[in-house]
Amino acid sequence: MAGREDKYAKRRLKTSYLSTIVGVTLVLYMLGLLGLIVLHAKKLSDYVKENIGFTVFLNDDVKDVDVIQLQKSLDARQYVKSTEYITKEKAAATYIKESGEDFVTFLGYNPLPSSLEVRFGADFANSDSLKILETELLKNKSVKEVSYQKSLVSAVNENLRKISLIILGFSCLLLIIAIALINNTIRLSVYSKRFLIRTMQLIGATENFIRRPFILKGFVQGIIGAMVAIILLVFTLYFAQKEVPELRELQDAALFIKLFVFVTLMGVIISWASTYLAVRKYLRIKTDYLYYH
Amino acid sequence: MEERKEVISLTEIVKNYKIGAEVIVKALRSVSLTIYKNEYVALMGPSGSGKSTLMNILGCLDTPTSGEYILNGQIVSKMSDDNLAQVRNKEIGFVFQTFNLLPRSTALDNVALPLVYAGFSKSKRIQRATEVLKSVNLEDRIMHKPNELSGGQRQRVALARALVNNPSIILADEPTGNLDSKISIEIMGLFEEIHKAGNTIIIVTHEENIAKYAHRIIRLMDGEIASDEVNPDITKYEKNIAEVVNEQ
Ligand SMILES: Nc1ncnc2c1ncn2[C@@H]1O[C@H](COP(=O)(O)OP(=O)(O)OP(=O)(O)O)[C@@H](O)[C@H]1O
Ligand SMILES: [Mg+2]
Repeated sequence: MAGREDKYAKRRLKTSYLSTIVGVTLVLYMLGLLGLIVLHAKKLSDYVKENIGFTVFLNDDVKDVDVIQLQKSLDARQYVKSTEYITKEKAAATYIKESGEDFVTFLGYNPLPSSLEVRFGADFANSDSLKILETELLKNKSVKEVSYQKSLVSAVNENLRKISLIILGFSCLLLIIAIALINNTIRLSVYSKRFLIRTMQLIGATENFIRRPFILKGFVQGIIGAMVAIILLVFTLYFAQKEVPELRELQDAALFIKLFVFVTLMGVIISWASTYLAVRKYLRIKTDYLYYH
Repeated sequence: MEERKEVISLTEIVKNYKIGAEVIVKALRSVSLTIYKNEYVALMGPSGSGKSTLMNILGCLDTPTSGEYILNGQIVSKMSDDNLAQVRNKEIGFVFQTFNLLPRSTALDNVALPLVYAGFSKSKRIQRATEVLKSVNLEDRIMHKPNELSGGQRQRVALARALVNNPSIILADEPTGNLDSKISIEIMGLFEEIHKAGNTIIIVTHEENIAKYAHRIIRLMDGEIASDEVNPDITKYEKNIAEVVNEQ
């Protein structure tokens, strides 16, 4: 009878180990996903910043020479990636093409100003540095107005922040579940080994000595969880890149490796720490108590 | 009469168990007791009288709620868990009703295990464990695992393990509880020899005929010592086994 009960306990323990590893894996997968998103997010916002830039609207009475002068002085700056001169006529043509309204004939004149499109390198394109350049340009006599899409930069950042927070929340939830699973596993495993533990206590094994195999197992669980999580992350990356090939341009192998090392470390820390605490808790409960309950 | 050495000295030992927040079970009310070297004591009493609780405290498996316990000159009632483990390893040999052997290890490994915690070298361990197994007449079962041994043989392995560290006391809680009467008598014969060799033995039992082997009988009742007497009529193994054999 004791044998049958033991067998049952052992089976429960096996399921329990498995679900613990699954739990740890999920936590690490979420953390890894968060890491991937943060890594890609930085690249993505760089990409957005490099591609938005500035429109400098020019006064109507500006001379082409002045414009070319200004364009040259902008091009000479390190942080400017490219400039493009858009004349009144070109602007009108683009607008007509886009809106389908021939407003020039309708109005009898062309109200659109000529402009300079300026694009920047990523490290320059945060809102503050754009402001400084803006004031500088406004002092120039040929410049009527400077316009740039502040909102797009901050919208990208804002959205990424929200997504990161949601994933972080999820990770925390999963972490709690994983710790509960580890706790349960240790309880079962102390229970199924209660006779052995009792024997070791009788003949003078210290708590440390009794704890060691459990903690070793926790360590191994962490490593396994991390490995599975990394495999899942690599798959996720692979499928994401297949769906959105542009992602490949954002990829950075060195950072990925750092991320995977981080995931492994987290796995070991999470399972080691919660195993340590759980074992301490359940060994303190006298094994006598476990015998009869 | 030469001066006797105190091995165990209990002063007003109290043990309360808390159940939930409110209920307190007074398992030991106030137990004071001195046991000298080479005494052979039987601890008796009805179920729930506190025998196992007292054994756990004597065996340093549990600490009393209040009172002082001095074992072989060391105050153990206030020791940390790790120090208690060390005391259990060096000073105490346990024999229990269930044999408490590691199921996947041989008799030799089971007996040698306390020596591992005590830090002996492998060859020393094997030598000492073999020697003790011989002394309980198990030299031909050294490499057997517990499931390949009879109940009496298993209890002899447990006894050998209890002896392997030359402890100050041997604590036995119902050591014959799982054995039939002939095997029980054989085990009691071994205890008799161990006692003759100079060991101090405390044995918990509720069988009068087992208690009769001891030289001193202490009876507990509701967590207190009800009587503590010298046994006037000590059973001898040689005589007892002859009787049992004759009956068959
Ligand atoms: N861990 C515990 N928690 C709460 N109460 C306990 C605990 N252990 C023992 N008790 C109580 O303490 C009292 C003494 O118990 P103990 O086990 O010492 O009795 P015993 O004399 O060994 O009995 P038995 O002959 O049945 O083994 C009992 O009333 C029991 O219910
Ligand atoms: Mg008892």
